[in-house]
Amino acid sequence: MPTHPPFLPAPRRIRLGAALVLLLLVPSLRAVDPTGEQIYRKKCASCHGVSGEGTKAHYPHPLEGNRTAAQLARYIAKSMPEDAPGTCTGAEADKVAAYLHEAFYSKVARERNQAVRIELARLTVRQYQNTIADLVGSFRSSDSRENKEGLRGEYFSARGFRNNQRVLDRLDREVKFDFQAGSPDAKIKPEEFAIRWQGSIFAPETGEYEFLVRTENGMRLWVNDTTRPLVDGWVRSGAGKTELRETIRLLGGRAYPLRLEFFKSKQAKEKTASIALEWKRPGGVAGPIPPHYLSPSRAPEVLVVSAAFPPDDRSLGWERATSISRAWDQATTEAALEVASYVTAHLGELAGFGFEGRDKPQKVRAFAQQFAERAFRRPLSEVEKKLFVDRPFETVADPEAALKRVVLFVLKSPRFLYREVGEDESYNIAARLAYTLWDAPPSDDLLKAAAAGRLRTREQVAAQAERMLADPRARVKLEEFFLRWLKVDQAPEIAKDRARFPEFTPEVLADLRTSLRLTIEDAVWSKNADFRRLLLTDELYLNGRLAKFYGVHLPADAPFQKVKLDRQQRAGVLTHPYLMATFAYTAASSPIHRGVFLSRGVLGLTLRPPQQAFAPLTESLHPNLTTRERVTLQTKPDMCQSCHGVINPLGFTLEHFDAVGRYRDLDNKKPVDSTGSYQTRTGEQIKFTGSRDLAQFLAASDEVQTAFVEQLFHYLVKQPIRAHGPRTAADLRDSFVKSGYNIQKLTVEVATVAALHRRTPQEPAKPETKTLKPSGK
Amino acid sequence: MTGPCNRRDFIRDLGIGAAAIPFILNLPSLGFANQQRRKQRLVVMFSPNGTLPNLFWPDEEGEKFAFKEILKPLQPFHDRTLVLRGVCDRVRGDGDAHMRGMGCLLTGIELFPGNIQGGSDTPAGWARGISIDQEIKNYLQKDPATRTRFGSLEFGVLVPERADTWTRMVYAGANKPLAPVDNPYQMFAKLYGQLKDREALKSVLDEVQQDLRKVSTRVSTEDRRLLEEHATFVREMEQELRATRDEAVGHLVPELTPGVKKENDNIPKLSKMQIDLMVNSFAADFARVATLQFTNSVGQARMRWLKVEESHHELSHLPDSDAKAQDKLTRINKWFCEQMAYLAKRLAETPEPGGKGSLLDNTLIVWTNELGKGNSHTLDNIPFVMVGNGLDFKMGRSLKYNRQPHNRLLLALAHGMGHRIKAFGNPNFCGQGPLPNLT
Repeated sequence: MPTHPPFLPAPRRIRLGAALVLLLLVPSLRAVDPTGEQIYRKKCASCHGVSGEGTKAHYPHPLEGNRTAAQLARYIAKSMPEDAPGTCTGAEADKVAAYLHEAFYSKVARERNQAVRIELARLTVRQYQNTIADLVGSFRSSDSRENKEGLRGEYFSARGFRNNQRVLDRLDREVKFDFQAGSPDAKIKPEEFAIRWQGSIFAPETGEYEFLVRTENGMRLWVNDTTRPLVDGWVRSGAGKTELRETIRLLGGRAYPLRLEFFKSKQAKEKTASIALEWKRPGGVAGPIPPHYLSPSRAPEVLVVSAAFPPDDRSLGWERATSISRAWDQATTEAALEVASYVTAHLGELAGFGFEGRDKPQKVRAFAQQFAERAFRRPLSEVEKKLFVDRPFETVADPEAALKRVVLFVLKSPRFLYREVGEDESYNIAARLAYTLWDAPPSDDLLKAAAAGRLRTREQVAAQAERMLADPRARVKLEEFFLRWLKVDQAPEIAKDRARFPEFTPEVLADLRTSLRLTIEDAVWSKNADFRRLLLTDELYLNGRLAKFYGVHLPADAPFQKVKLDRQQRAGVLTHPYLMATFAYTAASSPIHRGVFLSRGVLGLTLRPPQQAFAPLTESLHPNLTTRERVTLQTKPDMCQSCHGVINPLGFTLEHFDAVGRYRDLDNKKPVDSTGSYQTRTGEQIKFTGSRDLAQFLAASDEVQTAFVEQLFHYLVKQPIRAHGPRTAADLRDSFVKSGYNIQKLTVEVATVAALHRRTPQEPAKPETKTLKPSGK
Repeated sequence: MTGPCNRRDFIRDLGIGAAAIPFILNLPSLGFANQQRRKQRLVVMFSPNGTLPNLFWPDEEGEKFAFKEILKPLQPFHDRTLVLRGVCDRVRGDGDAHMRGMGCLLTGIELFPGNIQGGSDTPAGWARGISIDQEIKNYLQKDPATRTRFGSLEFGVLVPERADTWTRMVYAGANKPLAPVDNPYQMFAKLYGQLKDREALKSVLDEVQQDLRKVSTRVSTEDRRLLEEHATFVREMEQELRATRDEAVGHLVPELTPGVKKENDNIPKLSKMQIDLMVNSFAADFARVATLQFTNSVGQARMRWLKVEESHHELSHLPDSDAKAQDKLTRINKWFCEQMAYLAKRLAETPEPGGKGSLLDNTLIVWTNELGKGNSHTLDNIPFVMVGNGLDFKMGRSLKYNRQPHNRLLLALAHGMGHRIKAFGNPNFCGQGPLPNLT
């Protein structure tokens, strides 16, 4: 038997399990037939107990193990009940097996049924990287960002950058110039000139960014590191236009210094001059940098740690940082060494003394103490100060070597690595707020609020949360949540049949992702931030290229803009062409992928992958069937229907969208049938036709709201919602509804609830003397 | 790959020319039973602006030759020195003589056209190929028997903070110039940073464990398990660190004078520091190839410590009839020669770890220049002087060639290091292979 069952290429393979995959059962569905639970109570509970805990008289062991549901079903059909084997077979055995597997038998079920608690958690990888960046960054000053888009462009009438030869100083929204044989300005001679663009660039997400510069002249580009150019093409070597590109890793939600210098050489008799600066976002395609990511304001350098951490456990859907490994420990060491050498290399700047600085020893020691305080997110106790700062400086004579020790010790300490091992609740609240909203450590003003006792009441905390929501780090985190909620956070690779969709280019795909981001941004940061609008909107962000592809009339070079579409054709973000293309095969739509996404992701149902992998029936095998008919045919068996009875009727409602997300009336020359249905958890049978019907149901569904609230909570807080009290989920949902489904208010509410929730009661520790004010600047 | 498999391979890998094989094979000491291959090292040292031929080249050819004024510092190494006259940089193309002299010196190939304009000729860009030191380094790094931690180290002394055709002689490939490290502290961090890091780490890990224990008392019993696991990792790392034996390099870690800034007047100090670091890195076997670049092509050093106030390049343009300038240039070039002699002395004093003799017995130093003569800008008769016994060249001679392209010398260096390539750089200048009469 091959390790990987054969199957057709499934674009969403990784997300949905090793192969696609027809799914076995869901929680009990109320139908005319008895449910698995009903069968269990009738035929099994007398010996095994109502929850499989066992009974003294008949079977004194808990009913748990590692069999799959299918194996259980076979076993039951053959040997259960013990006094009458053969009386629980077929669909009945399947159902009862699925029920008990899901309810208490399996490992997953057992873990779920355990009392949940808030576990000690370390910083997630993302939090670690942000914490280092902000920790070091807190010693640097940054200008307030001007509200201008683009870069400052200075033009010089010589090949150098002397101020007395500067003839032009202006704002350039983008760097894309073709001067040909001419000059940028009447005051500049065309034979020789130089231009310097500088300012900063905002990274909207974390990842690898590629910067490309195209020119036939000389240029140098600095990004983040202001001393060493990222791209150095000052010496042009070889004839013709060159395109130089380099990659750099940036953390999302921050601005980075950027400078580009350019010159046209008279001596080298360069005839023409031109320059274009472009970038390639993580997983994107090369293109111009949108001006709103550029600013003429300066930004300080950011330390982006390069140590490779093992990825966090995401098995529950959010990064759970409650386990550690040797690889993680080694990564923390590597990163600590990296930070230590970075800090010593930039010590003059960070600690505030010159090269000859006479006050160097005192300044370095003061820096070391501040570093420890900001790393621990609270002031040091006397004991800690002695241990972490005084002792290294007393044992090592050279202040730099002592500082290196402090940095290593602090960054290896559990006080830094774990989210909350502090005792002062005010600082814990500050830390929880910051990590919930930013995945980053509390800022200086937040620590000051904690020190001043202004983080006690619910109102105070909520006010801080509201203020913090405006920070770019919060925007980035929320946007990433939405991408995860929509199951497209890890930029899926979407390949389509080239023969069938030749115009579905990588550029179209990248534009689609941008369009989805704009849709999210628009919904989340609009005035009402109404969740329902996200699901119901009849507008779609399109640019010229997308408009052409999706049959909308816009000029070819039109920038992104909202376009109103036929209400009946498209409804909200769930019908966004990017999602429709993602949940589809290379050539055909996939009602199953779409149905699984809707039931699991949007409605919050639990679905388990089946024991067996199936290849979808190919079109060529059934040339006369529509996609819907093929799926129906393949999932007809009873064993499939327990899950596909839910999945398919949801997915079918989106059948008007083909494999690239275009609207269609015909599938395989037959009219599309987009009727579908859903049975709610309360047993109500809902019928819809098409996506508008579906969206209207979902927008009003409390199941959708509950699932959304829980997923948002987990993504933000990274602790189980149930550990925050049995009513928290319901309360948050209620307040969400009451606020008019306001996403921003819900976020503030989640952050407030989580921040004010004390962690598991700690055993009393010896009080340490507190120095009350943080010595921050 | 586990080294040579027969005696012929072994001999070949030693870098001994074909003609020598029958002779060597009769020597019992080099029989195959002796598996140990000796280490071989190559150092290229560069100083700029040409030389003064009259005070540089010995009059005599052969073994009985006398050093002229500039080369006098090499007197103690007379029998380990090889002076090569008549080796010419014949590569032409774009760029002025200083640019080509530098960019083609170790690459033996033309520069690309570009936007960098010198004092004459056409503008140019970077060289079109890899330099010989990197070619040899790549060859050595491919074989586990000769692989070292860094392969090659690029040292510099007061190299200007700009990357252009005049400041780069080492190339990892076409259009890929490598910057020399001219800050000894930076080089120190590169060589010994990990070691220092390990020491610092060792000193804190014990405290980290205590801290973990302290913090454990504040969390619940269930959470304590996580911190205990964490403490185990830290303890294991501490044990591993203790088990790592740093002694092999430990006693060789040089002490650097702190706070020496990159300034013209510090050139002698910086030079000494870099040479000491190089010798130490050889003793620790960090690399088998090194370059040492003083300033740059058109270098402007003002050697005030020799009572020379004018810049080197400025002086190099003055006519032969200017006796004062000639005198100063003699002192300048002699000072560079002293640096070579100091390097040779340090290598000769340092025993070859795990082998016989000294480091100098297994190292060849090549001193070179981007020009033959400063005021004519000729690329003929590039001053090539070699010291040391690293390559089985027959040392203790002064040789004269008839305008041989320097590519043939570069080939000879590769062959001498065991890398038997047919051509290097522009093949048109590789003639009948490696420069003859060296071994």
